[in-house]
Amino acid sequence: MKRARDIERMVQDLRHPVDGQTHDRIVGHLLDALKRYQQTRAAARQPHTGRIIMKSPMTKLAVAAAIIGAVVLGLFEFIGSDAGSGIVWAEVARRVEASPGVIFRIKENGKGDPNEQWPNGYRVMQRNVTLSRMDWYRGDEIHRTVYFDLAGKTEIWVAHDKNVYSRQTMSDEKIQKMRADGLGWTDPQGLLNLGLSLEHHALGQKTIDGVLCEGIEATGPDGSTGRVWVGVETGYPVLVEIERIVDGNVRHTGTMDQFQWNVGLLPEDVEPEIPADYRPLE
Amino acid sequence: MLDERWLLWRLKRGSARALRRLYGKYEADLLTLAASLLGRPDQAEDVLQDVFVRFIESVETFELTGSLKGYLATCVANRARDLRRRNRSRPAGALETAERIASRQPGPLQRAIAGEQYERLSGALARLPYEQQEVILLHLKADLTFREIGQVQDVSPKTAESRYRYGIDKLRSMLNGQVEP
Repeated sequence: MKRARDIERMVQDLRHPVDGQTHDRIVGHLLDALKRYQQTRAAARQPHTGRIIMKSPMTKLAVAAAIIGAVVLGLFEFIGSDAGSGIVWAEVARRVEASPGVIFRIKENGKGDPNEQWPNGYRVMQRNVTLSRMDWYRGDEIHRTVYFDLAGKTEIWVAHDKNVYSRQTMSDEKIQKMRADGLGWTDPQGLLNLGLSLEHHALGQKTIDGVLCEGIEATGPDGSTGRVWVGVETGYPVLVEIERIVDGNVRHTGTMDQFQWNVGLLPEDVEPEIPADYRPLE
Repeated sequence: MLDERWLLWRLKRGSARALRRLYGKYEADLLTLAASLLGRPDQAEDVLQDVFVRFIESVETFELTGSLKGYLATCVANRARDLRRRNRSRPAGALETAERIASRQPGPLQRAIAGEQYERLSGALARLPYEQQEVILLHLKADLTFREIGQVQDVSPKTAESRYRYGIDKLRSMLNGQVEP
């Protein structure tokens, strides 16, 4: 004699058989729908500043910035359910994406690095989805500045050591090309795709500048290794470390730290002021 | 729950892997729900596909407030109810009726996999009033509360719970052989 609880269990266990052919057919339709969704989404998205930076002398900065997102988001793809981690990585990803703007410091060395005064040189990056400003520092002296405002179609370069600057209007074509080619670190989807090939392992916890962090290490297909350390309490990245061997024996390293998340960046605040004695470049 | 949120987050960014995982995660339960409510495996598959396609199309603006499984199950139940209504509103031809009856019978594969219990249970479920079937399946297969089911059926939580109790009692009687399924 079956009791009510037995009946409930039977219903819970009830399984309509799913054959592989039906499964594949439906999944095929769903992937088509996802493709359409991606196309619609891509068409509606705002422009990004990635490509223009990649073409500039500041390539490494952009690459490093991209790697932040790539490592962070790529790792998230694999972490999935957050199993075994004290950090809720999905929440971290959401916070990073939701941050309206971010400021951080970049230090790097390696062959061809224009910021040759390692370890005294560094760069400060301020960025949101349409604005990007990078300042090169040598010690405490500002050396170079580059600024892009995609919404305002403005591009400004400043060489503080030469007292010169360049201010240009960005063409629609240029912005369009950036949209087509470039995906900066503010593009989670592109970075997620980039990060799909990364493998990772947990690094456990360590204290960085007095902040308890939890880290993960990933190795990219090009052999570069990235480590992301996230503050256990805040859930935001605190330190990103990148290492890569170039030309067989040159170790290229980069770090990103001193992050300030959730910064509201406005063009009037971020646009570089050109001192009166600077001359424009032709 | 976190896993659901994470998969959803990735799906919003176009991850095919997340889509496969989400679909694979809920496929069996949602297909069972649709097949049980409709009594037609072919339509159940269409309903499942339709629900997921619509979900993908609107995922960018989708905000998860409860469980994703519960949300999808509610969509399946609503779609199944619409289909039943449409099926009822047009007179079925002899061929169609025969087809429906035939499709209610488990095929050899179904029989082999699910066995006698599947047949008996799905047969008994199909004999219940639709609202009772729905509340039992949504509660037990999709983990919806009676409050949530009440919203789906546009009745009070108490009514949903009563339907559930009646349904379970009836199923119990049928499966204990007191009532012929």
